Amino acid sequence: MVMMDCLLSDKHRTARRSVRAFCQRELAPIAKEIDQEARFPWEVVEKMGSLGFFGIQVPRELGGAGMDSLSYVIVVEEISRVSASLGLCVTVHNSVAVFPILAFGTEEQKQRWIPPLARGEKIGAFCLTEANAGSDAAGIEATARLEGDHYTVNANKLWVTNGGVADICLVFLRTNPDAGHKGISVIAAERGTPGFIVGELEDMCGMRANPVCSIRLNDCRVPAGNLIGREGMGLRIGLAGLDTGRIGIAAQALGIAQAALEEAVKYAKERHQFGVPLASHQSIQNMIADMAVQVDAARLMVYRAALLRDQNRPFTQEAAMAKLFASEAAGVVTDLAVQIHGGYGYSKSYPVERYYRDARVTRIYEGTSEIHRMVIARAVLQG
Amino acid sequence: MGYHIVVCIKAVMVQAPVQSSNRSADSLAFNPFDWPALETALRIKEDRGGTVTALSMGPECSAFVLHEARAMGVDRTVLLSDPALAGSDTLATSTALAGALTGLNPFDLVLFGARTSDSDTGQVGPQTAVQMNLPLVTWVNKITWKEEGLLVERRADGFVEEFEVVPPAAFTVDPRAVEARDLDLAGIQRAFEQGHIERWSLADIGLSPKEVGLAGSPTVVISWKRAKRKRTCRFMAGNAEEQVETLLKELTASGAMRE
Repeated sequence: MVMMDCLLSDKHRTARRSVRAFCQRELAPIAKEIDQEARFPWEVVEKMGSLGFFGIQVPRELGGAGMDSLSYVIVVEEISRVSASLGLCVTVHNSVAVFPILAFGTEEQKQRWIPPLARGEKIGAFCLTEANAGSDAAGIEATARLEGDHYTVNANKLWVTNGGVADICLVFLRTNPDAGHKGISVIAAERGTPGFIVGELEDMCGMRANPVCSIRLNDCRVPAGNLIGREGMGLRIGLAGLDTGRIGIAAQALGIAQAALEEAVKYAKERHQFGVPLASHQSIQNMIADMAVQVDAARLMVYRAALLRDQNRPFTQEAAMAKLFASEAAGVVTDLAVQIHGGYGYSKSYPVERYYRDARVTRIYEGTSEIHRMVIARAVLQG
Repeated sequence: MGYHIVVCIKAVMVQAPVQSSNRSADSLAFNPFDWPALETALRIKEDRGGTVTALSMGPECSAFVLHEARAMGVDRTVLLSDPALAGSDTLATSTALAGALTGLNPFDLVLFGARTSDSDTGQVGPQTAVQMNLPLVTWVNKITWKEEGLLVERRADGFVEEFEVVPPAAFTVDPRAVEARDLDLAGIQRAFEQGHIERWSLADIGLSPKEVGLAGSPTVVISWKRAKRKRTCRFMAGNAEEQVETLLKELTASGAMRE
């Protein structure tokens, strides 16, 4: 692996080494099985919680690890290198569930929700997508009606990452049906509240160990104190969460691509055709070179976006570029890894078919490639 | 009063060097055989109080092992670093470590990993104990407290040996003795943010450059090349069950597996 001496400190290297060792020992032996059985491995998730994976950037006084964004992307990259499903769980939890509460929540909300979320004792989720809203977040139809000290919430949210295990869901909905996108707010709904209904797990192509499902709120009475920020701030909160989330998904795509590159290199050295290892054939070398360049460029872009955030500098455009590039790189690199493996790559005997399936969705969620191109072009054209 | 335990740890080379043995942060790792020694010390501290000091000798880029030790829970970290130490063989290394240990006195136990993953001699622990005139038990698997001193168990070649030891003493720790704890992210952050590493030079421990480094090393590595391993592929005969049976027998006979 090409390391980045110039970007990483000893702290970041230590974080990478320790997370990698943990994932190799605890996650690698079950990565195939949890994908095949679509099983969320609580036994490993609990250990990840005790090591701080669920509160990477949460201040230590609130039970987190108090690390920077660069550490965060390294942790997500390393988990995703072994199991993208678990990388997804960790990044969504940290970036679009924990971060908005930290950034926009009241002191009371932080004290109540953050410590158990940071320890992984409670899992967070982000409920935005609906049948008629996704890339177009302003199309949200879910509603919340303030009645005294509570909101009555009705929502039908789809494709909720972590949905099957989530305890605290940030739900995007309309508190004012007549105010267009200014009528959208975010309310934290807790599992167990009457009317909070978790749907069946989706039978996904990839990321199968993540319990993605629908979440319905049927006349669900949520305390008024669960509103995050103020009414009408929903889109602002969502976009702030997505900026951070994009870096996380980019890191996840990077981890998948790294794993695919490593497997392809290993296989190309082991497998012999025409009397020599595959790696001796120029056509295979070209593929390996292209893969290595894609992975390296993705890593530079992801780390740069994280570093900008750590320096409190604007990073929206760089995060969007990193997410777009890393997710498309993951597509290219996993595809080539399958190609190098030939027929074996298309079978479940080798992990590259899992990487190939897992990589596909990184171009879809947390903003599609098309939305990202729009965001980037707008920023570039505005100069 | 609890023990003061010093654990000697090393940043090892991850891969055999191709030409020179220049160390950098990316080519080094925490010697895996030192983890059980550190874990043993920390468990003693948790059970019976006391303090744990981690001591390492190496260039500045090996300081991370001390941060990692701090992240695990050690109280004090010392890096013995001096250009004159370059090229030290195991005896010169032991001389330098003994000098640093004298500076860390009083202590009750000095723990070492059984060996290192890069040079694999297993000599530094025993040699340092001799230089410090400390009683030594190698490959310690278990430590039990007695009214006076310790009962120490050592496993080797299918035997279990027991020793009564009165501290101060030195042990090398059996890699199978304990499984080291994982580093948690908050511990890593705290170690790098707040952990102070004391830097000691040769002058600080009262040694002259003649006693260590190449000058103080009776052995010198004269050549260094990658070993070529010959691999062969052999097919087992018989049905699957017979093949497994043959494989198990051969692996057991070769020592790769236990019966």
